[in-house]
Amino acid sequence: MSLRSSAPRVAALLLLVAFVTAPQLFSFAFEPLTANNAPAIYNQGSLLSLTLSHLRIVFLATLASTMLALALGIFVTRPSGHEFLPLSRSLVNIGQTFPPIAVLAIAVPLVGFGEKPTFIALFLYGLLPIFENTLSGLTGVSPQALDAAKGMGMSPRQRLFQVELPLALPVILAGIRLSVIISLGTATIGSTVAAKGLGEVIIAGLQSNNVAFVLQGGLVVALLAVLIHDGLGIAERVAARRSGRPLDEAR
Amino acid sequence: MIEIEHLTKRYGAAAIVDDVSFRVEEGTVAAVVGTSGAGKSTLLRMINRLVEPSAGRVLIDGQDTMAIPEDALRHRIGYVIQGYGLFPHRTVAENIATVPRLLGWDRRQIAARVEELLDLFGLDPAEFAKKFPHQLSGGEQQRVGVARALAARPALLLMDEPFGALDPVIRHKAQDELLSIQRRLGTTVVLVTHDMNEAFHLADRIAVMNQGRLLQYAAPAELLTRPAEAFVEQLVGSAERPFRLLSLMRVQEAVEPGTAEGEPLSVADTLHDALSRLIWLGREVLPVADASGAPVGRISVSRILAHGRARA
Amino acid sequence: MNTILQTTVPGMHSSRSHIILDRLGSVIAVLISIALFAAPFATYRANRIVAGEGRMLTEALPTAGALGVTAVILCVALCAVLARAPVIRLAAAAAGLGAVFPALGWSAGFLTPAGNTFARVSPALGFWLLTLALALLAADALTRLRLGPLARLAALAVAAGAIAGLLLSGAWNDLSLLKEYANRADSFWREARQHLWLALGSMAAACLVGLPLGILAHRFRALRAAVLQVLSIVQTVPSIALFGILIAPLGYLAAHVPLAAALGIRGIGAAPAFIALFLYSLLPVVGNTVTGLSQVPPAVTDAARGMGLSRRQRLLEVELPLALPVILAGVRIVLVQNLGLATVAALIGGGGFGTFVFQGIGQTAIDLVLLGAVPTVALSFAAAVILDAMIDLAKGPSHDRD
Ligand SMILES: Nc1ncnc2c1ncn2[C@@H]1O[C@H](COP(=O)(O)OP(=O)(O)OP(=O)(O)O)[C@@H](O)[C@H]1O
Ligand SMILES: [Mg+2]
Repeated sequence: MSLRSSAPRVAALLLLVAFVTAPQLFSFAFEPLTANNAPAIYNQGSLLSLTLSHLRIVFLATLASTMLALALGIFVTRPSGHEFLPLSRSLVNIGQTFPPIAVLAIAVPLVGFGEKPTFIALFLYGLLPIFENTLSGLTGVSPQALDAAKGMGMSPRQRLFQVELPLALPVILAGIRLSVIISLGTATIGSTVAAKGLGEVIIAGLQSNNVAFVLQGGLVVALLAVLIHDGLGIAERVAARRSGRPLDEAR
Repeated sequence: MIEIEHLTKRYGAAAIVDDVSFRVEEGTVAAVVGTSGAGKSTLLRMINRLVEPSAGRVLIDGQDTMAIPEDALRHRIGYVIQGYGLFPHRTVAENIATVPRLLGWDRRQIAARVEELLDLFGLDPAEFAKKFPHQLSGGEQQRVGVARALAARPALLLMDEPFGALDPVIRHKAQDELLSIQRRLGTTVVLVTHDMNEAFHLADRIAVMNQGRLLQYAAPAELLTRPAEAFVEQLVGSAERPFRLLSLMRVQEAVEPGTAEGEPLSVADTLHDALSRLIWLGREVLPVADASGAPVGRISVSRILAHGRARA
Repeated sequence: MNTILQTTVPGMHSSRSHIILDRLGSVIAVLISIALFAAPFATYRANRIVAGEGRMLTEALPTAGALGVTAVILCVALCAVLARAPVIRLAAAAAGLGAVFPALGWSAGFLTPAGNTFARVSPALGFWLLTLALALLAADALTRLRLGPLARLAALAVAAGAIAGLLLSGAWNDLSLLKEYANRADSFWREARQHLWLALGSMAAACLVGLPLGILAHRFRALRAAVLQVLSIVQTVPSIALFGILIAPLGYLAAHVPLAAALGIRGIGAAPAFIALFLYSLLPVVGNTVTGLSQVPPAVTDAARGMGLSRRQRLLEVELPLALPVILAGVRIVLVQNLGLATVAALIGGGGFGTFVFQGIGQTAIDLVLLGAVPTVALSFAAAVILDAMIDLAKGPSHDRD
């Protein structure tokens, strides 16, 4: 990675850390946006702790969906689960037409307000991209490589762990990245159902007509998303180089 | 007739095609051979201006190609490439009709021409016209590719490794077919190939290129007997030379008076074929007959060998 | 593929019976049994706000009705387990849905005491499980039938017709969901129009801008990298954040440029939502246009050039038709994404079905949430089916269906 291409990333990261730890330093930038002496910087809680809870719920939900999606993806690509493969493809296709907000909204009346419905929505919706990419990664492993592995006397287990999963890893990581990005956004909306997170800042701004709050919340979430997207992208490229597969840049 | 004069192409400092001149007579086949990266495709693509020359010019029937608008020039020149580039979203008939349609032929004329070409290439119009390229075998795709190139009756046909993707049996058939159609229509052909056998089989003259330069442009026999450089000698294959030479000559040229026992050879057979018959039957001489079967003399191993020797 | 169940009966001389069980069918049958016998079918509430009590199917319908519905559903379960032919399985799923959906409406009428206008009946876990199981059966059958694009469109039309028939017949009028609708029929259709306008309008704008931009980006390498990078950063920004960020400049514009205000541009409202959706839509359109164009085989473009097709002819006759399926796949992504994201617009006063969703969340009224969520899901689903069919049609006869 050249210095020039990583400089904006480092700058963005430093800016983010500085802003969530000491937001008052930046009040000069937001003051012009306020009216009637409204506060320029979010004052109903600590930005740092909101950021951390936001990240925590996204991380936990993604971890849970990754585990389940990987297990399911491996199951339906084994001979014993093959019968479920076509249906799972259609289900993933159909499932992704459900807007994440709908999933969130439907979860609230079932489990009440707070972190729980948000977690459920993030978990369920996060499953789909990971599962889809696990499927396409595992079914996309070249038959020659599998044949060669079989010919060398690898057991099905060894083939899975030493050939299929390493080769599918970049695609699976791409799915995880997509899932994390969607979750970061959905978690923001989670604040409408009282989950602690950065959405609170935005919603507080919308409720009190304070554009400064809206902008702060929006910028922090946006910076987080861009940085995480970028960081996971680097991990993906490393994995892709290891598995010798070119990653198409257009995605 | 096409004249190539001092044609040069540079990318940056490197001359990919370097001051190449030669001339292809009306109705003949010229083959361009050379190792990979020699600049053969670039040379060919400068003829229809897919690549703009850095220097030099190309004359077609005396007219500078630079004087003709690019697209109009290409409408007049058939172009066949390796992989053929058939349009996957168009049927065989639509593919063949491409250039006539661009030229604004009327519908009936186009339909008649498509049918004529399919017949010419032994593809039943009723079966093939409505098919899509992916429904064809490699050999059929190749024939459609050539038919498409010939659709607007071009006087000149450019071919870049047109048989490269075919298996040896089909390739041989396709070469014979091309040759017979070329003789019938009198089309001038410039053909790029990697395959020396193909060049010797099809070409009236062969251009040998290396690192952008034209080393020799001559009739096949001359290439064998008087290679201009060591590279040419190596390319035509020194071990193969006598046999290549013999397959360029006919029994007619080596027949001697006299008679012999056995089944007669034809005057039209190549000396290569005659020699292999003699070796196989363990004979020194065999009789020779003309096309009507009347005896005209005999042919001997020693006379054939004399024809396969280098001549100073 | 299928489990072969071998039972050996002891005591008799080892007789064997082979029963072929469908594994997916077994899962469906288990779901159906749980739904029928262990989960409430409907929820009854004395009024809109209080907590509900679950009612099992046997309590929710008159005895004869409950028995009838149970019998039909059990037959469907049996078909799922034993029948192999997709057509039969599809018919069974359709029959099951044809029993469960009217039964829900019937139970609402049955559970609501006569003349009581406050009581509310909503679907409960059992109903949702049954719907899920039957939908799985139908989806599996449809997947195995490998219907062509036109047949899929026809199936969608039939399903839409059946649902419209059910709603228009009044069979569901006693359900809480439709009572919520009846209370706000006017605003429902207004928000529906707004939702469609936000989703489709921004998509159309994105196509108008994105297609030429994609073609340019395909031509010029330098432009391509820059455009795709910027657009993928935009796509990363969560919707509510982007809405929020856009509020500031639009608010400024509205306050300082009278013309903008006259055009209805405000910091809060539909304008930032529309612009945000437009920005999100650009990446799939531009990205897929570039991908589609770059996937055109080089031999094909070379041949086209060699035959003397002009730039314009090459683009219109060769490159765009060959890229069309990939471009349409981008449009599909955009459409489904926009129909979902438009829900969030309600948070910044942009209207759309999200209005009901967020009102419902605020009032913990699940039926109000459903009033917003169900049409959104239905629209996205229909859009996905329609565009998938269009993509297949665009691939057309030049590709075999695999
Ligand atoms: N647009 C270009 N820019 C720079 N270099 C080029 C370009 N096109 C071709 N070349 C270079 O010119 C050289 C000759 O290319 P050309 O395609 O003419 O070779 P060729 O003789 O047809 O080879 P082959 O037999 O492999 O097809 C190659 O080294 C190639 O890398
Ligand atoms: Mg070449």
